[in-house]
Amino acid sequence: MFCEKAVELIRELQRMNDGQLPAFNEDGVRQVLQEMEALYEHNQTDVNETKSEQRADLLPSIRLRHCCLLRNQRCVGAYLYDRLLRIRALRWEYGSVLPANVRFHMSAEELQWFARYKKSLASFMRSLGGGGGLDVTQDMKPPKSLYIQVRCVKDHGELEMDDGTLVLLKKNSQHFLPRWTCEHLIRQGVLEHVVS
Amino acid sequence: MFVTDIRKEFYEVVANQRVALLVASDIDALCACKILQALFHCDQVQYTLVPVAGWQDLGTAFLEHKDQFKYFVLINCGANVDLLEMLQPDEDSIFFICDTHRPVDVVNVYNETQIKLLIKQDDDLGVPSYDEIFRDDEEEEEGGDSGNESEQSSEPSGKRRRFDEGAVERRIERQREKREWEARRREILFDYEQYEYHGTSAAMMFFELAWVSTKDTKDMLWWAVIGLTDQWVHDKVTHMKYVTDIATMQRHVSRHNHRNEDEDNSLSIDCMRISFEYDLRLTLYQHWSLYESIRNSCYTSCHFKLWTLNGQKKLQEFLADMGLPLKQVRQKFTSMDMSIKENLREAIEESSNKYGMKDIRIQTFGVHFGFKNRFLASDMVHATTALLENTEKDENETDNFIKALESLSRSNLERLHSGMDLAKKKLMAIQQTVASCICTNLILSQGPFLYCYLMEGTPDVKLFSKPMALTLLSKYLLKAFIQSTRNKRCRLLPLIMAAPKDVEKGTVLVVGIPPESETSDKKNFFGRAFEKAAESTSSRTLHDHFDTSIIELKTEDRSKFLDALITLLS
Repeated sequence: MFCEKAVELIRELQRMNDGQLPAFNEDGVRQVLQEMEALYEHNQTDVNETKSEQRADLLPSIRLRHCCLLRNQRCVGAYLYDRLLRIRALRWEYGSVLPANVRFHMSAEELQWFARYKKSLASFMRSLGGGGGLDVTQDMKPPKSLYIQVRCVKDHGELEMDDGTLVLLKKNSQHFLPRWTCEHLIRQGVLEHVVS
Repeated sequence: MFVTDIRKEFYEVVANQRVALLVASDIDALCACKILQALFHCDQVQYTLVPVAGWQDLGTAFLEHKDQFKYFVLINCGANVDLLEMLQPDEDSIFFICDTHRPVDVVNVYNETQIKLLIKQDDDLGVPSYDEIFRDDEEEEEGGDSGNESEQSSEPSGKRRRFDEGAVERRIERQREKREWEARRREILFDYEQYEYHGTSAAMMFFELAWVSTKDTKDMLWWAVIGLTDQWVHDKVTHMKYVTDIATMQRHVSRHNHRNEDEDNSLSIDCMRISFEYDLRLTLYQHWSLYESIRNSCYTSCHFKLWTLNGQKKLQEFLADMGLPLKQVRQKFTSMDMSIKENLREAIEESSNKYGMKDIRIQTFGVHFGFKNRFLASDMVHATTALLENTEKDENETDNFIKALESLSRSNLERLHSGMDLAKKKLMAIQQTVASCICTNLILSQGPFLYCYLMEGTPDVKLFSKPMALTLLSKYLLKAFIQSTRNKRCRLLPLIMAAPKDVEKGTVLVVGIPPESETSDKKNFFGRAFEKAAESTSSRTLHDHFDTSIIELKTEDRSKFLDALITLLS
């Protein structure tokens, strides 16, 4: 059946609904493109035949193949676009350096796109705040307080704060630190926000 | 030195700094820590909280953090030992100590720069005056020098000899004075440091700080009440002191309750309300069944002598006397009939007067928020202690500390309830152990004290490898023993209790408690006695706990240690 491969690509993305990026299915995309080429070839020959021999009975099959081509195009387009949206969300969640396992799942073109997006976001952030720059990727939800209470879940060694002072992060020690120093450690799982 | 204005000399000093909090493992310290944390959150003071379980932990924590912090706040640890000697800090480290352990070491009292004691100066201290203990050494240097020179026979000189005649006499006089002064000093210090006891709750001190800064809230007040009740539950302060402190807290409670609560202006049911209660001394009775609570509370169990058959009959009589059907009494308290619950306290008081239990009711506080949540302060103390000393899963002490700390917040009710279940198990284990010890006569009189050793195979003995649980067991055991023995002399003796602590390392935990009496001043001399006995027999002991009357000892050295104690104390 035509277009099945394309739908499979979409299904693959839908399986990982929570924003995770599965590996780039190069095989799948290539197969869909091959199918599109094959369909196009068939259509070409049929159109030529219809024109030359005035055969009206080939028109439905031409139309069918044309619809399949359009459908394949939409599916592949949706696949690529959804992946780009997910990669964009990764920049906001992880910061400008992606973990290696995520990078492994991206194709070369996607990596290029990510680099250009990063640059564009960085120049935008630099232009804010009257030339001083503002990091908009911090504080995605409005913070309730400047300082938060965190508990250390694993030994992390010493953490250097903005004013140069050091804090020793030992397992099960609790600290009251500024929010911006702790956020990336909370995301990494070293610290745990304590709500009391 | 003592801090006179706690707000100016402590809080405003640390307000712009980063502070390390070193907190001991008892409920009073936990409550004090919660109050201080709430204050720090309010003023955005950055801090790091490190739980410490003993002197070694304190030393390690200090070494790890001394490069990063200048200000250290020690809660319920550090006052009764020469801290500067032990930790060897840099010149600019400053320690704020809020500790209930007395006597406060004299070096800590008289150090002007590095040690600030967050303790009221009139808090029952009796510190010897400066001149009696410290003496300027300048005069002695001179006398010492000339003394040395004359003793060195390698450099005698005729001229010197003539001048030294008068000087020799003066020197002899000075040396005699010095010896007398030193003898007096030793005596004074011995008297001062002989007995160990406890002062005002640390949680109350920090609540006062909050009150003076007008940042106190009902949560902080409740924590202060819990800290005070911990001192009463674990028998650390005299009854008089407890009642006086309750009166102080009562003033704060009525101040907080005076929020114009009337028909038009009533507060939502979810708001926290603290109320003064003259409630029964039955542990956890509102979260258990009345019958179980009477059976497992120390006061009632000892008075009825529930380890004997006779005692159990008396209990049935008591319940029948009050007209409480067994079926009602054995079910959960919350499901008892309303008609019984209404006058329960007065009915029990009346009946218990007939059975010789005159103080079945005690002044305490209760909290009430939401429809289901009512707790007495003693309930919270028992629940949190059980969480702090949880031996069920193999978790380390800091995990338990954090769980116990969390359970004090109002939002962590499941943790609190799990703590209450653990507390119930612990109480039942204590009762059974007490019953078996008395019935099998495990308590031996060694002359100057009573002694009891829990063998390794005893059920629930793992629970008693923790200091607070073992202390609670010893207190219950002593009270029960006094009721059960006919020997009048034995009733006035203190008790030493030993239980296996670590089977692999082969150590036992030894706890000494003062004798039980109506007018007991709760002063414990076992700290010094243990030290001396360990020294004289060179037993392998570890005096790691902040209470000096709790030590760890190698099992093999038990008998010689005991013999040394007997000779020391007779």
